[in-house]
Amino acid sequence: MVLSLLPVTSIIHDPDFWWHLRAGQLILAHGGLLATDPFTYTVASHHWTMHEWLSEVLYAALQSRGGLGLIVLVLSIVTWLGLLCLLLRAVLRRPNAFALGLGLLLAAVAGYPIWGPRVQMITFFLSALTLLAVERHLLRGGRAIWLLVPLFVLWSNLHSGFIIGLGFIALILIAEVSGGWLRWRDGAPSGRVRTLFYVLLACTAVSMINPNGPAILAYAFLTQGSGAQQTLILEWHSPDFHDWVVLPFGILLITLIALIAVNRRLRARDAALVAVTAALSMQSVRHIAIFVAATTPVWIDQTSMLLQKMRTRSAARRPQRPSLQFRVFTFSVLMGALVIVYASIRLLPAMRVVPNSLAYAREYPVCAARWLAQAPEPLKIFNQYGEGGYLADALSSRGDKVYIFGDAALMGDPLLYTYAGVTSVQPGWDSTIRESGTDIVLFDTATPLANVMEASTRWVKVYEDPLSVAFVPSNRVRDVKLPPVPASYPRGDPCAQLRSTAVDTTAQNQ
Amino acid sequence: MVAVEGMERERRREVVARLGWIIGAAVLLLVVTVQPFADANVWWHLALGRLITSHGIPAQEPFSYLPAAHPWVGQQWLLDVPLAGIVGAGGAGLASAVLGVVAACGFLLAALAIPRVSHETGPWLAFAMVLSGVVASRLIGVNAEAVSLFAVAAVLYVLARWREGRAGAVWILPPLFLVWANVDTLFAVGLLIVASTLLVASVSRSDGAASRGHLAAALAASVLLTLVNPYGPGLYASVITTAADPAIAQLTASWASPDFHTWWLRLFEAEGVLLVVLWATSGGPAPIDAVLGIAALVAALWSEAYVALFAIIALPQIALYGTRAWRLQVAPRVSSRFRVSPARARLLLVGGLIAVGAAAVVAGARQVTPAAAASYEASHYPMAAADYVAAHYPDQRLYSTDTWGGYLAYRFPTGRVVLVYDQGSTFGDAAAQSYTKIHLLQNGWEKVLRDDGIAHAIVLDTSQEASALHELGWVVACHDSVSRSVVMSAPPPGTTPAAAGPLTAPPAGSPAC
Repeated sequence: MVLSLLPVTSIIHDPDFWWHLRAGQLILAHGGLLATDPFTYTVASHHWTMHEWLSEVLYAALQSRGGLGLIVLVLSIVTWLGLLCLLLRAVLRRPNAFALGLGLLLAAVAGYPIWGPRVQMITFFLSALTLLAVERHLLRGGRAIWLLVPLFVLWSNLHSGFIIGLGFIALILIAEVSGGWLRWRDGAPSGRVRTLFYVLLACTAVSMINPNGPAILAYAFLTQGSGAQQTLILEWHSPDFHDWVVLPFGILLITLIALIAVNRRLRARDAALVAVTAALSMQSVRHIAIFVAATTPVWIDQTSMLLQKMRTRSAARRPQRPSLQFRVFTFSVLMGALVIVYASIRLLPAMRVVPNSLAYAREYPVCAARWLAQAPEPLKIFNQYGEGGYLADALSSRGDKVYIFGDAALMGDPLLYTYAGVTSVQPGWDSTIRESGTDIVLFDTATPLANVMEASTRWVKVYEDPLSVAFVPSNRVRDVKLPPVPASYPRGDPCAQLRSTAVDTTAQNQ
Repeated sequence: MVAVEGMERERRREVVARLGWIIGAAVLLLVVTVQPFADANVWWHLALGRLITSHGIPAQEPFSYLPAAHPWVGQQWLLDVPLAGIVGAGGAGLASAVLGVVAACGFLLAALAIPRVSHETGPWLAFAMVLSGVVASRLIGVNAEAVSLFAVAAVLYVLARWREGRAGAVWILPPLFLVWANVDTLFAVGLLIVASTLLVASVSRSDGAASRGHLAAALAASVLLTLVNPYGPGLYASVITTAADPAIAQLTASWASPDFHTWWLRLFEAEGVLLVVLWATSGGPAPIDAVLGIAALVAALWSEAYVALFAIIALPQIALYGTRAWRLQVAPRVSSRFRVSPARARLLLVGGLIAVGAAAVVAGARQVTPAAAASYEASHYPMAAADYVAAHYPDQRLYSTDTWGGYLAYRFPTGRVVLVYDQGSTFGDAAAQSYTKIHLLQNGWEKVLRDDGIAHAIVLDTSQEASALHELGWVVACHDSVSRSVVMSAPPPGTTPAAAGPLTAPPAGSPAC
């Protein structure tokens, strides 16, 4: 568990984080939810279903008290608590200690592409907690399962991922009923299954207690049914197993299949969870976290079964153990050292990173946003999808508007497809940008759009840094009021550092 | 005596019914295995087959103006030459029909790759065949994959007979591998299947030592015979280069991991899940089945190109473990009221077979007519655009995507006017980077065009290349509305391109090709 702290902590890589933060600040400032989109000039009239409003408020509150560092700390703890729930669920089946440790470590590494300070970590934690509560109930019974009801009130206001929790309970119910009909081994007593059904009904009912009412249930399915989101947004793509960060997930999946084939013993609910979450994670990388939450205890259980078989086959030889005192001392020293290492190499460095820093300037248009913030009048900016959130956070207080940002459901499929047509420079890209009323195009350097605009006589380059490049239509150069491009930055400034690192990289490549 | 005769009669009926199901499924599969020239690579293989017929196997890459980074290995020559002959004799339709039948026979053979004592039921066999056929259908067609699929099925069939104790069956393998090594690189997978079977049998000692000796000798003979090819041991170097070259992954979409947003890959996923469920509910798989199934699954998750391999390996397993799981888990709980009488079942089977056969023949026949083949070519490949280029820009270098590169190699087999096609291992990384620079409009894309002296292009009218070339002052020479392609030409050297408005799709005012 201590080792698993390492992969769950990082700086903010989620491009959506920034608009969530800004939305939280706006909610606190206005004292209520926003009815329409405040950030774009393209879909400003669209109704905004703020399904993550409570998380956004939490972001804003934490940021005002402890800066980004506090958000990093809190979400690292939330993710780790999710892993702790996996441990507790696995422990319910009395697993082999080695299988337990190995399984948790594999789970922590398998989820690496998804971990980080982002709202989805709340859903990961609450999914793992839900599965823990359900498993405990099916194995031991009791009334604690009813605690899920208040949990779902909270969850449905934090993130629309609460639907996953309801889905898990429904899936387990179906599996238990079907398993009972097929006389599958290790089924739960029917009384507990019945109680679980009532809990599901109650959780579904209370999840409607949120500012969006019952509509929140339908909203949760919107992204799953959106062709544009599934096709165009990277996180919705299927895992690419050529990418090494996805390989641990592949190992978790394949070893689980092999273990099931060897052991030939699987609870009905485990089979259902493995099949459904494997299908979801094959559909989208972002669902790897759900797969990890659902299947890690199953993996640990299956590995324990295999080790048990191997142990009974071989002669049982118990190695002589050192004294208890020695073991406690060694364990404490080791854990202490790991915590110190974690805090010094992961947590504190991630917490110390401030918004205006080189680390963020490499990922987000920090320098370009600083330049645009000097413009005498608000601008309409055609931007990259993943950078809309940062620009909204940095510039929306001035009245600047972006073309698109990361709330894909709010943007709608038509805008997503139009945007995709422009970024892939399909014929008509030029008119799409102009007809939307864009003042300036701010895009990443070396992208097809930037390279074609550079070659075009109808566009003029007005700004460039190692990450971003900006163009305005050649017939509007005089109309669009832009600030002067800074010739240099003070020493130590992140934009100066960004330039110097880009120069170094170019020199090395040459 | 009467009882024995009755049992024998019942056994024969079972065998006939099972054969009926299998043949019915194989005929039905013709609907998906008989395909038009959907795989764009078939065109350059056809051109190569003609070239080999007239001049022998070329020593160098014959179609592209790019310098080859690696030696040319025309590994599929034994498919390319007959393919050119078939197309010459009966047109594209005949080639579609022949390869479709080969693939359907592959599924049929895989369905028979089950121990005969297992008494698997006909419906499960037919279901596994149809499921695997549909899963594999996007990757097979008029290509070497269809032949490899048949060869993998043949290997599975031989190994199934060997596992039953018929050790002599393994001597079919050496001649099979001799042919296969001259048809497709997937022969290496066939060798791995045999080697894995031998290894698992040796570890588990499930078969007799003499029997394992037969298989080991057949494997060694097969490996030796694969060296009988125009490139000798160099063929293995080519196989390794093909598997490990990043240029291939960059150029070939099917080398990427599966995109599970597409329905047929969802079906592959369903087949994978079904296989694991059947393993778990049927009392567990045989070790070699688990090894082959998991290895094929890993390969298919790594690269979409191996999904057909998974489908053919999973086919006999789904039939076998499906039958067992049904008998163990479901049959005891199904009421006898729902069971169909044998006479009625036979009637249904015969009726179904006739209906399926008629439907499959009608559907297949529609695919293979000369008119259908010509219409398919005109709508899926830049046929009219290539005609225009042949008339107006003979022997001039062309830019096109690698997918259409294969077709253009067929249309322009001499003069080296093509940029790249699906031969990434020959062109190497540098060529792949040059191509992707233009294709993905990366930094320096215009320079690559200039340096390579490319002044004409055939691209889709909605492509990013069309927009980008337009910004450089290239003009649309003609528009092929059937395939939605455009022929574009660079402004003459030394002239300043006239300022133009943005490009539209289809391009306004352009002449038809």
